[in-house]
Parts: sequence; structure tokens; C-alpha cells
Amino acid sequence: MLKYAIKRIILAIPVIISMTIIVFLILHLAPGEPIDLIVGPNVTPEVYESIRHKYGLDQPLIVQYFKFLGNLFRLDFGDSILQQRPVSRLILERLPVTLKLGIAGFILSVIIAIPLGILAAVNRNTIIDYTCMTGAMLGMSLPTFWFGLLLLYFFAYRMRIFPISGYGTWKHLVLPAFALGLTDAAVTARMMRSSMLEVLGQDYVRTARSKGLAEKVVIYQHALKNALIPIVTLLGMRLGWIIGGSVVLETIFSIPGLGRLMIDSIHSRDYPVVQGSMIVLTSAIILGNIIADILYAVIDPRIKFD
Amino acid sequence: MTNIRVIKMGEKEITKAIEENQKDSFQDFVRRLFKNKAALAGFTIIMILIIVAIFAPLIAPYEYDAQNLKFFLRPPSKEHLLGTDEFGRDVFSRIVYGSRISLQIGFIAVGISLLIGTILGALAGYYGGVIDYVITGITDIALSFPTILLAIAFVAALGPSLVNVMIAVALVSWCGYCRLVRAEFLSLREQEFVEAAVVLGMDDKRIIFNHILPNSAAPIIVMTTLEFPKAIIVESTLSFLGIGVQPPTPSWGSILSSGKFFLYEAPWISIVPGFMIMIVVMGFNLFGDALRDVLDPRLKE
Repeated sequence: MLKYAIKRIILAIPVIISMTIIVFLILHLAPGEPIDLIVGPNVTPEVYESIRHKYGLDQPLIVQYFKFLGNLFRLDFGDSILQQRPVSRLILERLPVTLKLGIAGFILSVIIAIPLGILAAVNRNTIIDYTCMTGAMLGMSLPTFWFGLLLLYFFAYRMRIFPISGYGTWKHLVLPAFALGLTDAAVTARMMRSSMLEVLGQDYVRTARSKGLAEKVVIYQHALKNALIPIVTLLGMRLGWIIGGSVVLETIFSIPGLGRLMIDSIHSRDYPVVQGSMIVLTSAIILGNIIADILYAVIDPRIKFD
Repeated sequence: MTNIRVIKMGEKEITKAIEENQKDSFQDFVRRLFKNKAALAGFTIIMILIIVAIFAPLIAPYEYDAQNLKFFLRPPSKEHLLGTDEFGRDVFSRIVYGSRISLQIGFIAVGISLLIGTILGALAGYYGGVIDYVITGITDIALSFPTILLAIAFVAALGPSLVNVMIAVALVSWCGYCRLVRAEFLSLREQEFVEAAVVLGMDDKRIIFNHILPNSAAPIIVMTTLEFPKAIIVESTLSFLGIGVQPPTPSWGSILSSGKFFLYEAPWISIVPGFMIMIVVMGFNLFGDALRDVLDPRLKE
């Protein structure tokens, strides 16, 4: 078990390294020197050079990369060009907001998706199944940002049930979490349905039924446990989607989260902040996938640990 | 009796018989596909999109960039079916022209990723060994990246424009093809018809393109249909965030993006393009799902 976990973590190392390379290159492939933002057009070449030197931009790319990597190990992402503050501080301020939104959306998604998936599978090819799956198809095709705008327009602006924008109370989180959860639930519900259908066709379910067990016992005590196993990996994979979704929703609902910070910094070309938030968000997703994989191995004894 | 007839058949007759057989199986395929109402609905949506995109100049009553500040944020009316935006531009016309951008992104971005993914997957699956090891390694790394964040990263580096969005979408979506094609090649390589081709002394190029690739067409087609909506979503998300297609180019995402600032005064600007994205994405999803069920039951979730 431990061996499997260690192996899985080692496999993630090349992923993390290539991520740092890509994120590092963003700064250097981007059109225009980032320090042009700080210095403005009217500086003498000497001042320009000294600022380039201060940020280490005059060194060869490979040296800069290893310095960047070394700083990462100390969780030092450099200073924000615009705000002149450490990027790590900015990220720490914003991260809890994104986490809250992500977790709320995630929980909502699971609460909606799992029962719908079971309902559809148990009532296969009935009107209930068709309704659930049509709903899932709609949800899958719904662009998150548009759904967020619709919710904002109708429930915040028209009906005044929820605040229009900002952050602070739980009420501010309801609409964005709902937009996130509902679109995500569509995929999970479809997966839950097919997983449940597969399990219901297994021999041990037939045995349980032929023993004369009540249908409820068969479904909830025998089938459900096994049908949930593949969902664990799926939820890990959906984490990337959840975080991508919250980047968009934070922009719509003016929520001061990490995603919003990243998008704002792309617009203002504050590249150290872009790099830092990108690395934190991507690492969170990669970590989520590792945890899901290990969890999958723990609950499914068929997976071999070698 | 039948044996004698077969022997008497010349090459021409055999070719004709094979063609007729293929025609029959194609008709059978179409019949099975469109027995599914969802497939028919999806296909209709895709066809309408293509027709609107081709005939956009005939359908749109105004030019997509024709400004008239006298008509600032007008609600839907007889002259302007879906109202006007902050520059007095006709929203309906912009949405009609936007269908072109969505299709363009879909065709070009998905096309590039299909090309990259298929070539790499074919090389890995056919040759195996070190080539396979390297390509599979790169694919695994690429697959563990979150799509939308990677696309944002690419666009942040390349700068916002239609071409860069296409590149970003292609760069985040080739790995699925690579994995699929590799798996197909691995299993097809062991089949008798490939062995026969090798024994007959055909070169690798001919075996790969004329023998193995056509046999893995079904799952590739299914995947392409399902990649299309993903590309449209990624494009519109990037454009919505203001780092994708830039105004005045009328992509549905960019129309929505400029409309979000006038959501309360002029909700029509944002609501309609989003609805279009949903319908088109759903069309491709429905069609792709049905296509998968008919063409390649193994891929069923």
C-alpha cells in the first residue's frame, strides 16, 4: 500500500517539473519585457539595466529557471510588480476564498449527482431515467460562465434573493457554488448511472436478489458500495474542472479568490503573480489526482500494489 | 451453385459487389444512427450551424461591425431582432457571424490536435520500444494538466488572438487522440491482415496509412465529434475572460464578455450567445454519444 502511494507520488514528479518549466516560460515567451511595466518609457539605459539586473532578467534563461525553481522550494514566488508585495502573501490571502468556493461546489455536485445517477440507473429506460439524463445532457452542455451570469441576473438582480457581487457572508457563495456544482454534477451523474448499471448486472447482485433480499437492500447495501468506487477517481479528475470553473465564476461574482487574482494579473501583465497562482492552482489539481488514485487503491482491493 | 457463380465473377464484378455491400452497410449504419432521436436532433443542430456559418452574410441584416451610436443598447425590436450592443451594433448579426468563429475554432483547433495526436499515437503504437516510451511519457504528463489552466497559460504567453486561441486549444487536446490511436495500433498491429501486409513486403508508411489507420477510424471519428464541443467551450471561456478572441471579432464568447458589463441594462447581449453555445455544444454531444453507440460500443461509458 505504502509502496503504491510512494510510486504514485514519484510518478508525479516529472509532471510537476514540466509544469514549472511551462509556467516559467510564460514570463519569457510573453511579448514585451515585463519590466517595461515598472520602468515606463522615459528611463536612461543605465537605470533600465540596473532594474533588469535587480530582477535577474539579464542572466541566461537556464540560470533564471534554476533560480526560479530554487525559490519555489522555499515557496518564494518573487514580488508582485504592481503591488510590490510578496506573491506568496497575495496567494495566501486569496487561496482560502477559492478553496471555500471549490469545496462548496464540489459538495453540492456530489449531493446532486449521486442520487440522480442511482435514480436513473434503478429506473432504467423509464421516464425518470430519461428526465435525469436529459437534465445531465443539458448540464454538460451549459457553459459555466453563462449559467453564472443567468443566476446573477435572475436571482440577484431581478429577485434580489442573493447579493449581486462581493464576498463575505455565506449568501455570497450560494449562486457561484450552485453554478459550479450543477454543471459539474451532470458529468458525475452520467458516470454514476453507468457505474450503477454495470454493478447491477453482476452475479453477486443476482445472487442477492435470488436470495429474496428486498430490492432496497440489494441496491443500497450490495450494489451502491461497489458502484461508488470508480466515482472516486472521477471526482479526483473533476477537480481540475472545478478549479477552472471557479476561476471563471470568481470573475463574474467579483469574488476575491486566487482565480480572479490570476486573470487580473494576466490583464495587467503582472507575471510573477500569474506564475505563482498558476503553480498553486495546478499543484492543487495534481495533488487532488494523486489523493484520488491512492484512495481508489485503498477502497478497491482488486488494484494491485506493485 | 453459388460457388460456380463466384468463380465466374470477373474482377469488375467483384469490385462492384464489394461496393454494393459497402453501400448497404453504410445505409444500414445511417438507419441505425438516426433511429436514435437524439442523434437526429444533434445532427440537425450541427447542420443548421454549418448553414448559418456559410450563409452568414445573407442571413445577417447588418454587418457585424456596423456601429451606430444612435442605437446604444436598444432592446430587441423589429429592426434589431436581438437588440443592439454598446456600440449600437446589431446583436443578431454578430451572433450569426459568431457561428463562423465557433466552427473555425472547432475545425482548425481540433484538426491540428487530431493531426498531432494521430501521428504521435501511430508512431508510438506501431514502433513501440523507445519511441513508445518517450511519446507515452509526454502524453501522460500532458494529460495530467488541467485543460483550462493550461489553455490560459498558453494564451497568457502567446497573447490574446483568434489564432493563439486555436493553438492553445490544439495544444491542450492532442493527448487524448495520441492515447487512443496508440491503443488502437497496439491491438491492430497483431492482427493477421497487418502480418500479411508485412509479409507481402509493404513499407511501413503504406501499412500505417492504408491498413491500420482506416481500421481505427471509428473511435477517432467519435472522439473528434466529442472534441468539437470541448474546443468551443474552451474558446468561449477564454474569450469570456478577455484573453481569447478580441473585439470587434464576434465570437460568442467575446460578445458575451462585452455584454457582461451591461448585464442589467441589456441582458439580451449576454443571454443569447450563451444560449447558442449551449445548443451547439449539446448538438455535438448528442450526435457524438449516438455515433459512439453505433460505431464503437466498446467506448461506451
